[in-house]
Amino acid sequence: MKNWLEAYSIIDFISVGLLLTAVTLNAFKSIESYVKAYTINSWLLASLITAVAVLMNEPHLYVAALLTAATKGVLIPLILRKIIRQMRITHIIQPAISNALSLAVSSLLVAVVYASLKTGITVTGFSRNVLQIAIAVILISLFIMITRKKALVMVLGLLFMENGLFLAGFSLTFGMPTIIELGVLFDVLMGVIILGIFAVQIRRTFASADLDKLTVLKG
Amino acid sequence: MEYFQFLIIIIFSPLVNGVIKKLKANMQGRVGAGVFQPYYDLLRLFKKGMVVSRVTSWIFSAAPYVVFTSAAAAALLVPVLTTQSGFTMMGDVIALIAVFALGRFFMALAGLDAGTAFGGEGSSREMTVAILVEPMMMLALFTAAITAGSTNIARIVDAQHALSSPSHLLAFAALMVAITAETGRVPVDNPDTHLELTMIHEGMILEYSGRCLALMEWAHYIKQMVLFTLAIDIFLPMGIAQASGAGALALAGGIYAAKILGLCMVMAVVESTRAKVRFFQLPSILGGAFVLAFLSLVTHIMMGK
Repeated sequence: MKNWLEAYSIIDFISVGLLLTAVTLNAFKSIESYVKAYTINSWLLASLITAVAVLMNEPHLYVAALLTAATKGVLIPLILRKIIRQMRITHIIQPAISNALSLAVSSLLVAVVYASLKTGITVTGFSRNVLQIAIAVILISLFIMITRKKALVMVLGLLFMENGLFLAGFSLTFGMPTIIELGVLFDVLMGVIILGIFAVQIRRTFASADLDKLTVLKG
Repeated sequence: MEYFQFLIIIIFSPLVNGVIKKLKANMQGRVGAGVFQPYYDLLRLFKKGMVVSRVTSWIFSAAPYVVFTSAAAAALLVPVLTTQSGFTMMGDVIALIAVFALGRFFMALAGLDAGTAFGGEGSSREMTVAILVEPMMMLALFTAAITAGSTNIARIVDAQHALSSPSHLLAFAALMVAITAETGRVPVDNPDTHLELTMIHEGMILEYSGRCLALMEWAHYIKQMVLFTLAIDIFLPMGIAQASGAGALALAGGIYAAKILGLCMVMAVVESTRAKVRFFQLPSILGGAFVLAFLSLVTHIMMGK
């Protein structure tokens, strides 16, 4: 198993998969696809942790992988789908810029991250590629949050960013103690619930979850 | 023997198209025409006379020969069964794309030459697609070329292992999108219809008849098989012969046929399950594939493999 993982460079494949799910966000038009991409991203993250656990013989990482899969892979997507049903919105995302431009910008972001982290930083973890990919994921999700108007997309961007941060932390430290990971996952779960309720309330009060309309609140 | 491997592409390319059509028909619950139907069509067209419009210039009558010759020249450049052949020393990926571009240029000119609305429409669309596809194809091939340290296709094949790194998987995905666009298959163009709203390739060759039409169609089949062979050579090279003995070539031929059949199945499944997109949506699909190719190159440079 261990040799097999090393021989086929499974970690590289999974981490590029994580990057791809983040990049594809730029091309999606409906919020359901965002939730799907997030689910795939979380499962990939869990499988990356499992692969590292096998490679490094770190049994406590299995717990982390299980927790990630259970909360981010199952629970949060379920909650998000419920919120989408409750909001009964048209699920079309109106990006502020065109899909093609947005794809181009995020691929440039990836290139910039790769180029700037190529020298000057020494990573002693299992793979220095994973750190670069993690930072690229963080920047892409930030970009998604900037350029999309729907409130729920903000939540998804934040979740993607959290996945990226988790990946970055994981690639540097081989996973934090389980109790901290539990705390972080619980935080994320609560965050999703609160933000979800908040988005539903925005929709009820203003009959729209378009954040551009918040500017009318200015005095 | 190994000098004649390009003949395999020229002779069997109509068969590949026939197989794809047959698979598609079976998937859609039809019986479909036999796999040799493209040969009968070509034979019939070669026997028929031609109608050439009075307003056309020499370009119209020269274009089929240029298009066919460029497709045949492209077939010379790719290794089919073995990488040990005299012709492979000139098999360069950039040259291959340039040879394709020559054929495409003349085809577009011929579409414009007769002065019909459909021809101009087809040419304009073909050029728009070409702008999007060519750089993407180049980037995807460069990823493989960097690994091999050479743009020679045979050297790339020698250096490649089957999809052993994520960057090559990305490049392969991008190349497959490029191939569907170049061969006029479903998400980009519909090969089975002559509906004026959708046609790209058919629009350009609408004015042709008889012998010239046969040459144009045959060139299209050859181009399709060359692209399939290129994808197989570069990204799934296991089984290609490194020597030129008769036994090695026979084995390589069997494996090659199986891989081509696999690609035909992929094409048939894609064509049966996807709908053709609106023309103005194409930039977002092809742009997405371009980003894949770009990411593959960048990832390759970052990971060093």
